[in-house]
Amino acid sequence: MEIEPRLNILILIGLTILLGTAGSRLFKKFKIPQVIAFIIIGFFLGDSVLGIINKQVLSSFSFFNIFVLGITGFLIGGELKKEIFEKYGKQFLNILLSEGLLAFVFVTLLVVLLGNIFFDNTSFVWALGLLLGSIASATAPAATTDVLWEYKTRGPLTTTILGIVGLDDGLGLILFAIASSISLAITGTNAIAIPKIALHILYEIGGSVGIGILGGLFLSLIIRKIRDKYGIITFSLGIIVLILGLSRLTECDILLSAMTAGVFITNYIPRKSKEVFEMTNELMPTLYILFFTFFGAQLNLKNLTLPTILIAAVYLIGRTAGKGLGANIGARISRAPKTVIKYLPWCLFSQAGVAIGLSILASQRFPGEIGNSIVIIITTTTFVVQIVGPLAMRIAITGAGEAGLNITEEDIIRESKAKDIMDTTIPLIYENMSLAQILKTFSETDNLYYPVVDESKKLLGVITVDHIKNSLMTSGLDSFLLAYDLMEPVIAKTSPDLPMNEVQETLSRYNLEYLPVVSSADEVIGFLERRQISRKISTKLIELQKQAEALS
Amino acid sequence: MDLKKYIDKKLTFLLKTKEKEEVLIELINLICENKEIPDREELKKDIFHREKLMSTGIGLGIGVPHVRIKGIKDLIVAVGIGKQDILNYETIDGIPVRIVVMIVAGEGQHKPYIKFLSLIVSKLKKNKIREKLIKAKNEMEIYNILSS
Repeated sequence: MEIEPRLNILILIGLTILLGTAGSRLFKKFKIPQVIAFIIIGFFLGDSVLGIINKQVLSSFSFFNIFVLGITGFLIGGELKKEIFEKYGKQFLNILLSEGLLAFVFVTLLVVLLGNIFFDNTSFVWALGLLLGSIASATAPAATTDVLWEYKTRGPLTTTILGIVGLDDGLGLILFAIASSISLAITGTNAIAIPKIALHILYEIGGSVGIGILGGLFLSLIIRKIRDKYGIITFSLGIIVLILGLSRLTECDILLSAMTAGVFITNYIPRKSKEVFEMTNELMPTLYILFFTFFGAQLNLKNLTLPTILIAAVYLIGRTAGKGLGANIGARISRAPKTVIKYLPWCLFSQAGVAIGLSILASQRFPGEIGNSIVIIITTTTFVVQIVGPLAMRIAITGAGEAGLNITEEDIIRESKAKDIMDTTIPLIYENMSLAQILKTFSETDNLYYPVVDESKKLLGVITVDHIKNSLMTSGLDSFLLAYDLMEPVIAKTSPDLPMNEVQETLSRYNLEYLPVVSSADEVIGFLERRQISRKISTKLIELQKQAEALS
Repeated sequence: MDLKKYIDKKLTFLLKTKEKEEVLIELINLICENKEIPDREELKKDIFHREKLMSTGIGLGIGVPHVRIKGIKDLIVAVGIGKQDILNYETIDGIPVRIVVMIVAGEGQHKPYIKFLSLIVSKLKKNKIREKLIKAKNEMEIYNILSS
């Protein structure tokens, strides 16, 4: 492997991750999905502009793309639990068939219509149309799940999207196998042999599922006995890579194999597999930066000619219309929730790895003009839909009300500040309040800790129910003991703008149950009690869960 | 809790001054001369701040100025007996103060602080003890009455 003399591969990876992260943060401000930032940065680093990520680099990273695609498939599989198949199975099938088949039909017909204007060779045009049509049916899982992950979505639309993007790869493979056999026949290289096509499809899908089940079973048996998380993640990654390698070796579909493994373990060992998916998911942000940046770098504008640009345009129109209309019809037939009918058509535009993989396969099976045209058209259109698709998806998932419903306790803590969680109704205990007055306040509220302040509300200390208990046990003092005598010193306090994860760190560091929140003038403006923090977060999570359930 | 443990011979005495503010300073000075106090001014400020919030004249001629401050490891107790009524020491029952027990505790000594306050107050509420203290002629006598 030859590497650029000026920039070695590690510098390139580091630079890509940094630029990608910085770019995605910038895009976030404009509410644009991060995946678009990665692709655009990749485009500028690629051969079309700067030429830093060139063909050589890209080819040395082909294994990496397979790896990311495999992990994505595995994670999608993890979402497809038995209950989801039971609940949405019929809906998935209806939508899958209608959106996939309509995209196939529309693209094929439009390409054939346009192709006849530019080319005299009818069989060439039909072969091109059929192959592009079959490729059009697949939807990119990585870009789709990245948007879902970024916007933390949850609900029927999210579940349907995951089901469809996971499964339409299978449909794409079937259609491609049929289209390439027909194309081979009409371009004169082969006769149409239906049994052969069927056998090939059966082998590819059956083989992928078989490898996935075996890998999933093997992984389940191993991780059942492992408790430490590093063991779980390393074994899981090892087995996923093995599944991918086996799929390549046997010429089966990597995405389908990895997805089957995910489906297998999420249903076979549901509890333990949760840890596997959670840990694998943590790898994704970094992997996706590289994956999409490299993807952006693949586009080479120099290869575009007028016919390919026009065919690419009709491909886009046909695919978008087919998928949109198909998704809508499928969702209506299966009586899916209104949000799915309305917004699903906007969520299936992305195409990437699978489409590019199939285009490369087509170029190998059809060397010459058909193959080359397919590669150029798919690369160009992929670039366009990868920019438009995530944008459309963001609008759709926000419109469906599913964004932000899939957040965990950690997310709430990470995104909140002290002022979002603090109790602003905490009664203030003034330093000259007598024991009797303090007890009255205690009886009216359910707090365990109270801030003690001076007349200008500046924080002096904290009174705890425990302290009062001690004071009550001693007789004869109640007439002259004041809050000032009973308060304990403040060990730590916080400003309202301190992020909640830092608040939690402070609570743990000092082993505290509470933290007063003060203004810059040291005036008490709120109070954080550990048990109330947990209560508030749980309430928020339950609210979000109810919202998601109400959508289905 | 054993009261005796906290009564220090060096910190029991007959007051030389007659007015509340002077008496408090006299007790503070005595404490600072005999014990390690990190910041005398801080102690003075806190004692007077507490008196400003509410006088520690708890009735029956007893005054219990008390405070918790940083840097004190164990309770410090100073007892001053006035030869006459102490002026300007407001009390709950209007009886002028003659016995002053100053208690200085560490910030984290909530429990012993409250416990000691309770014990000393209940002891001083006994007429005989108070009478004996008021009649005491020297430091040794005061110490013996309180530690008996």
